[in-house]
Amino acid sequence: MSTTTLPPAPAADAPPAKIRRRVLPSPVTGQELVLIGVIAALWLLLGLFTNGFFTELTLISLLGYMAPVAAIGIGMTIIIITGGIDVSVAAGTMVCAVIVAKTMVNYETSVPVLVLIAVAVGAVLGLINGVLIAYGRVQAIIITFGTANLFQFVGLQIFGSNTVNGIPRDLKVFGIGAEGRVLGLPLAFVITIVLAALAWVYLRHTAGGRHFYAVGGDAHAARLAGVRVQRRQMLAYVITGALVGLAACFTIGLGTSTVQQNIGSGTELAAIAAVVIGGTSIMGGRGSVLGTILGALLVQTVSTGVTQLKWPSQLSDLFVGIAIVIAVGADLLRERARKNKSRRAR
Amino acid sequence: MSTTTPTPPAPQASSPAATGESVGSRVLRALLTQRTVLIVVLLVAVLVTFVVMDAGGYLTGPYDGDTLAAALINLVPLAMLALAEMLVIVSGRGGIDLSIGSTVSLTGMIFGFAYQSWGLPLLPAILVAMVAGGLCGAINGFLIAYLGFPALIATLATYYGYASIALVINDQKPVTGDDIAGLYSSAAQSVELPLIGANLPDIPVGVFYFLLPTVVVVYLVMARTAYGRRLFATGTNDVAGHFAGIDVRDTRFKAYVLAGVIAGLVAVVTTAQFASARPDAGTSGNGMALPAITIAVLGGVAITGGIARVAGVVLAGLLVVWLNAGIPLAIEGNDGPQFQLLALGAVLIFAALLNGLTTRRYGGTR
Repeated sequence: MSTTTLPPAPAADAPPAKIRRRVLPSPVTGQELVLIGVIAALWLLLGLFTNGFFTELTLISLLGYMAPVAAIGIGMTIIIITGGIDVSVAAGTMVCAVIVAKTMVNYETSVPVLVLIAVAVGAVLGLINGVLIAYGRVQAIIITFGTANLFQFVGLQIFGSNTVNGIPRDLKVFGIGAEGRVLGLPLAFVITIVLAALAWVYLRHTAGGRHFYAVGGDAHAARLAGVRVQRRQMLAYVITGALVGLAACFTIGLGTSTVQQNIGSGTELAAIAAVVIGGTSIMGGRGSVLGTILGALLVQTVSTGVTQLKWPSQLSDLFVGIAIVIAVGADLLRERARKNKSRRAR
Repeated sequence: MSTTTPTPPAPQASSPAATGESVGSRVLRALLTQRTVLIVVLLVAVLVTFVVMDAGGYLTGPYDGDTLAAALINLVPLAMLALAEMLVIVSGRGGIDLSIGSTVSLTGMIFGFAYQSWGLPLLPAILVAMVAGGLCGAINGFLIAYLGFPALIATLATYYGYASIALVINDQKPVTGDDIAGLYSSAAQSVELPLIGANLPDIPVGVFYFLLPTVVVVYLVMARTAYGRRLFATGTNDVAGHFAGIDVRDTRFKAYVLAGVIAGLVAVVTTAQFASARPDAGTSGNGMALPAITIAVLGGVAITGGIARVAGVVLAGLLVVWLNAGIPLAIEGNDGPQFQLLALGAVLIFAALLNGLTTRRYGGTR
């Protein structure tokens, strides 16, 4: 088990602010700085070697299309910090998307209500995962593989073995068109950034948020320290489910007036890739939402770059795979250095 | 994802029948701890259910010996990949191979090139596929065993990598041709068994050419060789294994290589079945990794490592395949594949919860 960098919040009588400040790691880690550098270098290269990269359309679609994966990535970060994983988010996206699409086609519904429906459905799916994993005490990957199948069944049943056509343009506010801009940026991107900022504050600066780190670092010690481990685990999946619902709305907004059965496929792997590229330890206990946002940006930059360079689009998957290996390898090296350092200190 | 094997509470019923345990609790314990017993019971339940439904006229087609024998063609790749997953899961430390479907796609393309484009004879071409699969497995094994990557992440990365190369290598086009088309008629057909075959349905030859040899070899490796002992020891507790003089890294590395070799063989099987080498053979739809992991877990392989039986995995494969054969017959319309998804998911969750319960209550399955 990896070491916990963030200990559970100090008890009421613990010495105040000064120590707490020392206990918190620096707001930006090495991996995040490296990622910023890599992304900047990629953008520079793409600007030099393609004609169309630094145009408004390319940059806006880059930010818009990264939003669904980044939004799910926020939740996935929390899950992975607790030492879990969720491979059912693609199937969850499909269920939320088809319910929203059918609602839009059959009833006149305002955008906030649609988002609320999607978020609620997603949260229920997340609750199913959370209850099974936390209270069934079973490995997260196995359970979410299973629920991915169940969710897919439910989604396909609602689809009725057809695509949903003629969807109204209400959700275009989450698209990359003119109606979906705030301060010149895609609305979906802005919402994701705001949510990431909230999650960042929650995870770093509240007792409840730091309990996630405690659960992932050492669940047994966390339980002895008074953390309700199972509730924390469950909450992580519910949060992710809710974000999956939001991401489903983004995806509909980005798409055409048709929702197909394969909507959201592959997002589970993309979200996990963004999280681990962002420096979150898959063993739990360490990681940050900021890294995940940068990871999602890197993945989207790679696929945009491959398209811009007119290479076969499937090559971007190879580059994502290599990026995962490099990012996790760097993390392993740092872990080793940290261990050596603490050994020498003793 | 805990890396430590859970410490189960002291088994309540460790002193068996001698202490006068009732018949009921003994049966229950056999059902819960002997996974093969449970699977056989479930298998009989599935067969009886569908045969009764057939007799009552509720099925759209016959659920008889011919159906069951024909379904075995699906058992060949699934059971082989489940055995591959078993090898890596047994090696412990969260061992798992998400890339196994992409490995099948990639090695299938390489096999296609070797057999069709380069004109190699069949056996050398199969050897090329096995070596290619072994190399894919070696990359996984090197990352995981020697560099210390978590298996989930290493194989996620190679899942992307192999799938991408398989698609790009021939510009997304399958490898087809007369040689590969000929493979279909020779390797994917069904044959009458000698001597007793006249009274039995025809069995797909893939069972004899590919599945049975793999089962026998994997069984012998795991149960009858020193390597198998080392693999179980590594998966149970690799620190203890290291102190006992086992080269833990080498043992774990070889498990991934073996899994890759099996995936290479599966690529030959799927190429023969599709009569072409498809670049998405192992990744289309839900991919092949998911059913393979499901069957391994259902077959009693402990996801924490160190516990597995070949017989359990093969029987679990039979259960899934024969269940899948019956579902489309029992469901009106075209919803059959959807209900197969439901069944697979429900079975996986059931098996995982059961494994967890057995571990806590009895200290593990056997």
